[in-house]
Amino acid sequence: MKSMNDYIMVYSILLLVYRNIVAAIDKMFLIWQIAFPVVYIFVAGYAYSALIGDQGIAIGSLTVTYVSFLTAGMIGFNVMNGSTIAGAIIWNDKRNGMFQQILVMPFNKIQYVIANLITLILIGLGSAAVIMLIGFPTIFHDINVTPWSIPYTVYALVAGSIFFGSFTIILSTRMKSSEGYNVISNGLFLFFAFVSSAFYPAEGLPQPLAAAFYVNPLTYIVDITRAGIFAQIDMFTNVEVLILGLLSSAVFLIATRSMIKMEG
Amino acid sequence: MLNDRINNQAHSSTRDRKGPCISVTNLKKQYGKANAFTLDGISFDVEYGTVFGFLGPNGAGKTTTLKILTTLLSPTSGSVYIFGKDLIKKQSEIKRKIGVVSQNPSYEANLTVERALDLYGLLWGLHDSRVRKDKVNEILNTFDLESIRNSKNDELSIGQRRRVQLAREFIHGEDMDLLFLDEPTIGLDPSARRMLLDYIKKHVMSGLTVFFTTHIMEEAEYLCDEIAIIDNGRIIAFDTPTGLKQKYGGANKIIEITFKEVLSQSFIDLLKKIIISSTGSRDQKDKDGNHKNYDESTSNNISKDKINTTTTSHVDIKGTNPSAVSITVNNAEEVISEILQLVSKKGMQIESISINPPSLEEVFLSIVNDENNSRNNERK
Repeated sequence: MKSMNDYIMVYSILLLVYRNIVAAIDKMFLIWQIAFPVVYIFVAGYAYSALIGDQGIAIGSLTVTYVSFLTAGMIGFNVMNGSTIAGAIIWNDKRNGMFQQILVMPFNKIQYVIANLITLILIGLGSAAVIMLIGFPTIFHDINVTPWSIPYTVYALVAGSIFFGSFTIILSTRMKSSEGYNVISNGLFLFFAFVSSAFYPAEGLPQPLAAAFYVNPLTYIVDITRAGIFAQIDMFTNVEVLILGLLSSAVFLIATRSMIKMEG
Repeated sequence: MLNDRINNQAHSSTRDRKGPCISVTNLKKQYGKANAFTLDGISFDVEYGTVFGFLGPNGAGKTTTLKILTTLLSPTSGSVYIFGKDLIKKQSEIKRKIGVVSQNPSYEANLTVERALDLYGLLWGLHDSRVRKDKVNEILNTFDLESIRNSKNDELSIGQRRRVQLAREFIHGEDMDLLFLDEPTIGLDPSARRMLLDYIKKHVMSGLTVFFTTHIMEEAEYLCDEIAIIDNGRIIAFDTPTGLKQKYGGANKIIEITFKEVLSQSFIDLLKKIIISSTGSRDQKDKDGNHKNYDESTSNNISKDKINTTTTSHVDIKGTNPSAVSITVNNAEEVISEILQLVSKKGMQIESISINPPSLEEVFLSIVNDENNSRNNERK
């Protein structure tokens, strides 16, 4: 009986994931999700490279070009960027009345949250793969994946999706208007984006700024992603893995609780 | 007749239909401990294969009740059984067999009507794409949606969107035992409204149970087998539409007279005087001996069990027609006789005259007003 219930639970989640992909996601958003990092890699990457010169950037024992550094960073950054999907799905469903409608169908709020996060993970992984393919010419001379380093990158993308997806779910359940949600999420994401190691390394920064970098989960996501892509796994990477896992679990629990408490 | 129908359906149905479809006992809901109870211990049963009308003024507790019954809200206390199953414990089982058309529009903005119906069918567990396609085509045809099948939901008018919303619930038709309709005809034109009501009636005849909330009394009268009226979180009346009229409409009749000429204010004043004199002094004074206005509803300050013996006498100009009046009295024959004498004396001519029982709307207003007045008196 329990396994039957588990089957129904999984099946219900898969149905909702399918529904999210088919109906709830704006296709223009998906295009932007790919276009934004690609433009950054090819425009900002080469522009800043000209500024920085040939010195390269150290990642563990390896020194890579700034474009390679940025491409790997953009793959991690893309996870945060894409996480707004989870909040957008909830807002659109609330605005179009589908949130209530789904909850009076044979689905519950937990299934709805998990389906949103899985959707986000799929989109995060999918868009990361596309960015990797498009950005490959910029990174291929530095790339150094191994069978044991790639799981780190995948872990960072999945855990990062859960963290930022849950974070936007919490925001969307707490905010009373979509305008308020947009203002707060844009403001916070600006902090997350630029006070992180996505665009520049944390090494050599003034101490307070470097400390702020490590209050930011995006730094862990990007660091682990890079460590996986360039096979530079060390003790610190494993500590970051642990911290990211704890943060993601905590935020996921809060998001689930917020959704359950939210009135239909 | 109602019972016969229910019995017939029960025999024809292969489903286990013992007991009521919905059974609500002493249901209470309080939003925050400091606030008053939005639902204050309501109880009612809804039989299988019937349409149950749930009426009430704005803020009476209709939507809260509906949200609890459809699992969107948890009750503070009390019990709800649907299909004989505890709503709290067996939520997912119950949800598989219900359909809900909420008051607010709900739609998949990015999909075409056809694609949205297909997706909805899949969410309801219609896995076979061919079966789903047939079902979608049937629904598009039945609800006259063929012309907009390829339009995106976002591009539809409010009425069209509403029709899609309604149609959608019938995609899991065979599995649906209970349909909640929360003011479903808002935004529909008269023909679409009638088409919908008839479609629901047809499904009720084949065993569907419907929980129906509306503000449109004609709809409630047309569709409902039983009606509960809720006000301030309490059910204040419960009966069949006919029963409600008999119980609360009393001996009141509505006399509608159309004259051949435009009525003067002095003539209307004379009509009002006739009503005062014919209904007697008991209607001019309330229990405390206070004099009451002639066109005020004199049942307002009287307890519900006395409604049958009192009158809600008043004279109204009928709509925008300055030649017609509508008179509500409980001694229609006597009043008509006096009016005819007055008309004859004034040399006026009557084009048409009719005597009608009170409408459900008037009964509803009478019940709700009576309840409000009782509550105000209690406060005093």
